[in-house]
Amino acid sequence: MIQVRFVLRELRYGGAQALTFILCVALSIATLTALNSFRSDVHRSLLNDAQKLHGGDVIIHSHYPISEPLEQAVRDIQSRAGADLARVYGFNSVVRPEVADGSLFVNIMAVAPGYPLYGSVDLASGRPFGEVLQAGAVVVAPEVLSRLSLRIGDRLRIGTAVLTIVDTIDYDPSRPVSIFSLGPRIFTSTGDLEQMGLLGVGSRSHYEILLRLPEPEQARKIAETLSRVATAGQERVETATTARSQVKRFFDNMLFFLSFISIFTLLLSGIGMQSSLSALLRQKQYTIAIGKTVGATYRFLLLHYLALTMLLGLIGAIAGVLAGLIIKSTFPLLFGEIIPAELMLGVTIGDLVEGMLIGLLVVVLFSSLPLYRIAAIRPVALLRLDLTGNVGKPATYLLAALVVVFLALLVVRQLEDVQTGLVFMLGCLGFIAIIFLLTSLVLRLLRALPVGNLAMRQAFRSLFRPGNATRSIIVTLASALSVLLTIFLLEFNLVASFITSYPKDAPNLFSLDIQRGQQEAFFAAVGKEAELFPVVRGRLLSINGEAIDYERENQRRSDSLAREFNLTYRDTLLDDEIIVRGERLFEASRPASDVVEVSVLDTIAEIGDIDLGDRLVFSIQGLPMTAEVTSIRSRTKSKLYPFFYFVFAEEVLAAAPHTFFAALHLERDAIDETITRIVTALPNVSTLNVADTVVRLGELIDRLARVITFFSLFSIVAGCLILIGSVLATRLERIRDCAYYKIVGGTTRFVLSITVYENLLLGMTSSILAAAVAIVSSWLICSAWFNIAFRLHGGALVIMALTTCAAVVGIGLISSLSIVRQKPVTFLYRQNG
Amino acid sequence: MTAAILVSSRLSKTYQIGGRQLPVLSDISLTVSRGEFVVITGNSGSGKTTLLSVLSGLDRPSSGTIRLADRDITELSEDELAPLRNELIGFVFQAFHLIPSLNALENVMFPAELKKDPAAGDKATRLLERVGLSMRRQHMVSELSGGEKQRVAICRALINDPPLVFADEPTGNLDSTNSREIMSLLLELQRERDATLVLATHSREIARQADREVRLADGRLVSGEAS
Repeated sequence: MIQVRFVLRELRYGGAQALTFILCVALSIATLTALNSFRSDVHRSLLNDAQKLHGGDVIIHSHYPISEPLEQAVRDIQSRAGADLARVYGFNSVVRPEVADGSLFVNIMAVAPGYPLYGSVDLASGRPFGEVLQAGAVVVAPEVLSRLSLRIGDRLRIGTAVLTIVDTIDYDPSRPVSIFSLGPRIFTSTGDLEQMGLLGVGSRSHYEILLRLPEPEQARKIAETLSRVATAGQERVETATTARSQVKRFFDNMLFFLSFISIFTLLLSGIGMQSSLSALLRQKQYTIAIGKTVGATYRFLLLHYLALTMLLGLIGAIAGVLAGLIIKSTFPLLFGEIIPAELMLGVTIGDLVEGMLIGLLVVVLFSSLPLYRIAAIRPVALLRLDLTGNVGKPATYLLAALVVVFLALLVVRQLEDVQTGLVFMLGCLGFIAIIFLLTSLVLRLLRALPVGNLAMRQAFRSLFRPGNATRSIIVTLASALSVLLTIFLLEFNLVASFITSYPKDAPNLFSLDIQRGQQEAFFAAVGKEAELFPVVRGRLLSINGEAIDYERENQRRSDSLAREFNLTYRDTLLDDEIIVRGERLFEASRPASDVVEVSVLDTIAEIGDIDLGDRLVFSIQGLPMTAEVTSIRSRTKSKLYPFFYFVFAEEVLAAAPHTFFAALHLERDAIDETITRIVTALPNVSTLNVADTVVRLGELIDRLARVITFFSLFSIVAGCLILIGSVLATRLERIRDCAYYKIVGGTTRFVLSITVYENLLLGMTSSILAAAVAIVSSWLICSAWFNIAFRLHGGALVIMALTTCAAVVGIGLISSLSIVRQKPVTFLYRQNG
Repeated sequence: MTAAILVSSRLSKTYQIGGRQLPVLSDISLTVSRGEFVVITGNSGSGKTTLLSVLSGLDRPSSGTIRLADRDITELSEDELAPLRNELIGFVFQAFHLIPSLNALENVMFPAELKKDPAAGDKATRLLERVGLSMRRQHMVSELSGGEKQRVAICRALINDPPLVFADEPTGNLDSTNSREIMSLLLELQRERDATLVLATHSREIARQADREVRLADGRLVSGEAS
């Protein structure tokens, strides 16, 4: 039976330790609650409304006109199941005003009457979309008007057609977020498609058939039926819930990454919880020892202190859930245009219950070791004035293993992916283990360092004061800071490589879909000859007989093997290419065979585990083609230069339907004029201003970096709480040392200088370790993943080190002030009872 | 008689506990001469430790004055008292109060280092040799016995050659053999250095060795107030 009075009395005298514990619990679940609740919102509005996002229950997608067998199957379903149908054609192009100057890269969606089958496209005028969008008319995103200085009623050249702007889009259900789109959206009627002349063979158009079923739950079954007649590797039949979407994919990736950070914060807060609860129990150890002396059993004490811990945990969990909701309310400001406007940020009972349960589970796990230590406090210790109990190593390891297992389960649950979850756990533990080892090494060096200055020497000694959480503080701060600094260095290097230091000779204009016979006109439009890369669209069907698993590929976070590739042909390497496997692009002499040769770029070879001699089957215009890998290439320049994953010999693809791609470098102020000349001469050619796109990419990187930094800051708070917890845990020892210093003649200034030096050492060690780890990890990511040059940002390192030292010294001083101010005699009287 | 090193006049100390005033010391006037060995005796709770604390400037009296080496220390702040304690006073406590993160030698050196004495190490080594602890000088406090800890504490009290040493029950935590050894060591060193020793004790045996015994009862001097 729990004696409530005992628990409440212990709580009343818990003081700052109890408060720190509550804050750690709150911190551990605040970001997790905010993210989980946000994830529910995203799922609700993007996934549950997937029909609106994709426009139907079943979506048929192809880069070519839909094949006749599939068309027939669709007609059968229409007549049999009474499904509604809408056709959509999408492509990118450059449009220009009929009379004025200027041009704009846009995304065009030609839709048939009946679109959208779900939801509605809201127009600024408030009129129904279906009524407004008639042949000869276009509805445009507001950006089209502002960037081309046009008004409603003006006319726009799209391809070879001239259409009238009749309205602007307020809300487009298929494009909840526009930050990832290369160009603003324009809706046209399918009736104008022929006149536009932009659906050329091999152009990057997509053809879609959307079906609305009377019984949407039949979607999966019908999709399977249609898939059986669809052309493999060319036509994709999906349901609204399985279909890929850039927005869904982005949010999945972002939430996935932010979950990493919030679990990392939880781990660090857990360390804080453990150290503040240890401090609280250290304060109570006299009570515990006396309790045992007068007959309290371990079970009684454990039960009551567990009740006390759970009570504090409950307060912390409630505070954490509330803080999580407050954090979530800042998301619109934090994420800005990344969040779809219609995304409702609400709170469900489920969010609250989940947050509370995670919080209490976290409390139980991270409190188990300090609570177990109660068993080690012996009554006889009262006589020896030595109350520090030691717990056997097996129990410590067992409890640590339990914590790891719990975290692994939580990670898997958060990331919804067992393999990635376990890899993350191992990575996280490895990361912390590396910092732990480095910290131990540095502390060993510090211990052996001869120090002349008395106050400094005492500060060094204080680091090794029994019960001091020196190692925990440094590991926590260094881990959190290194994550923060790594993110900063990555952002800095990405921006520096792609935006600030955009290579002078790098192409800044990409032209796609140049048809055979348009080369000369293209050169005339750009005013010079340029290298044209032939492009044949094709899909990969299998690797060594193993069919590409489209479902699995769609889940992949890196590039997907299921997508349509740009294949090319040539017999030589590009200037920035080298062969890394094999002798040359293609074998010199090869007997005639049905199997052709292909050279593969190392990045895609790595994704598909492709090696020399492997057999790849491609689908080109629906026809299968088997190729053997004869070389693997790598690139020496950044991704701003054109590259192709798969290169074939000229005789293999030269006869296939293909277009050309050009990558040009122009003077910046000549770009807009050149685009207008190209679109005037060759309306079907899509030209992209890469320099502009790069600036937009920079803005996106900046926004994402801000989001990640925001979440990483909570890890820093965890580090600060551990610091406060450590000061509290060693409060008695600090008061004692302080009294001794003063008794033998030390002034307040001397005592304060020891505190400053001690915290300065903590801050400096944490910063130096964080900087070292961040430099190595960001260098690795830059060179191995992004393939960009790594540059160090000395200013950031100095600012991080100075801020950390100032914060640690400040927090250390503030939490030690009451200790330093104590008169030595107070300690002496207390010692005398 | 030699000049006085410590003079207290009408000292009182009262604690406020809840709403109640609790007098611990009342109207204590005491003069201690240079080189003198004075013991303060009395029953438990008679105010011995409080008197020692107030006389040494560790605690502030509620009323009255204290002059230490011809200087009024009654109203001095903590930071003004600190250097005085460092140079003029040595302390020996029943519970030793050594700094646990330092070894024996460093504990002894500490007050001299605070004074920035370049010979701190040599002086501490000599003192430890003098008390028979040269072999234990690198040992941490936790590795020393009670008697050894008190010897280290005596060395620490004497490292700056203070004219005045306060000792509060220095043998209270020791067995009888160690008590005798520590007392004779303390007295030897006090005489060698011509220091003044003010010692609080219950022990009649120690009191008999003193030049003068000052007896306290309920916070008042009942005998020995005259120097």
